[in-house]
Amino acid sequence: MPVNAIRLVSKSQNGVGAFVLQCKRLEFNYCDWAGSSKGMNSFLKNVLPKFAKENPQIEITVAPRPHRHPIIRGEYINGREKVICVANLEHNQILQKADLLRNSSGLKLKRFNKPVKSENQSVRGIYSPFHGANWQI
Amino acid sequence: MKTLRLASAVRGFSRRNTRFNSTIAVTSEPLAPTILSTIPPSRNPAASAKLPALHARLALHPSYPIQTLARALVDPTADKDARFTNQNLSTLGNTLTGYYASEFLLVTYPRLPTDVLYAAVGAFVGNKALAALGREWGIETAFSPAADVDAGLLQYKHLKPGMDPKLANRVGAATQEHAMAEAVRAIIAGVHVHEGQKAAKQFIRQHILSRKLEVEKMFDFSQPTRELSRLCAREGFEAPVARMHAETGRRSHHPVFVVGVYSGKKLMGEGHGGSLDEARIRAAVNALKGWYLYSPLEKELPSSAGKKGFKAQFIDVGEVIV
Repeated sequence: MPVNAIRLVSKSQNGVGAFVLQCKRLEFNYCDWAGSSKGMNSFLKNVLPKFAKENPQIEITVAPRPHRHPIIRGEYINGREKVICVANLEHNQILQKADLLRNSSGLKLKRFNKPVKSENQSVRGIYSPFHGANWQI
Repeated sequence: MKTLRLASAVRGFSRRNTRFNSTIAVTSEPLAPTILSTIPPSRNPAASAKLPALHARLALHPSYPIQTLARALVDPTADKDARFTNQNLSTLGNTLTGYYASEFLLVTYPRLPTDVLYAAVGAFVGNKALAALGREWGIETAFSPAADVDAGLLQYKHLKPGMDPKLANRVGAATQEHAMAEAVRAIIAGVHVHEGQKAAKQFIRQHILSRKLEVEKMFDFSQPTRELSRLCAREGFEAPVARMHAETGRRSHHPVFVVGVYSGKKLMGEGHGGSLDEARIRAAVNALKGWYLYSPLEKELPSSAGKKGFKAQFIDVGEVIV
């Protein structure tokens, strides 16, 4: 055979074509007794039903965590999880934290110095000293 | 619910066998093959929170029932009864994905050699790619297909560690990659069944064909210079000639040569290398890739051709035989 094939696997480009939200589960933990859960308890009663309805793609779990501070735990498609402690926060502040977890990609926080990150090769190509008008050896 | 099912079955039964009255039909329930016995309690789709989440994540239409999604997640190795598994759905899904991927590739790159075409179809809809897609959809696997498992988890009998995946069929187990890929195919088949052909095509385009595949990196030429000269002879071009464009450091430890391969006055490809031969071979490879990766400007897919029928923009005579 003159031409053989090299086996490759296509790579995901989330958002090109279809977009899949990266946050797949949010777990809300509360304590019935402790004062630091006051805001969380009111969040669970008043805000969470609306939040859950707006985000059907996230599986939402509510579980007690007695004698501990309330937390929100987000699980992501890449297998990582992010946890935020929401002790002593008001219910609207907790909603902000829940939105933060919802919008996160699950990746570690990273500084991007370049404005564009692409899988595609540069249109301009790599610089070559042998091409162009003015090369001389 | 059960009474409803029975009633409909009775109606069907009495329609087929008008000689029997309906009381006989009720007592002889196993006679009616359309009635499913109750779904095992392990897989009650209504009790799972994962299934509606997956449904919403994939932006499936409300006409796509949660029950189909649940069934798509049960591998044939988890249940002997094919009515509860994704066996039939995944077969349909395999046909659909294979068809849409191959028509897309054939229309985009009509000159692709057969081997590369098969590899490219596999890169889009092979087990590896679809298993990766399933993980990117957030499908999780159950530890084992036990009775108390969540219906939103992928259920299959795991192959024992260290076992050869080729023996999976014989021992009635599956690898995660295989089970996940089959589940993804079954979900796609569900789109076709419940939402129609158009929706299935769009779903496949959005989720599978939108993935990145560098077809130009899939070629492995054994004799590129020879193949290029055979190509030129076949197409009636002048025989290829390699000419040097530039060089530096010929007598040094790291020379660079830039060679172009010409047919008459036309430059077909250019390559660089540490030796004259390397540069010449790279130039031939680039020329061949330029030929094989030709893509017509207007692309019409056979599946989107209307009533007037499909007319191919370009039909290739086939790959070069060396």
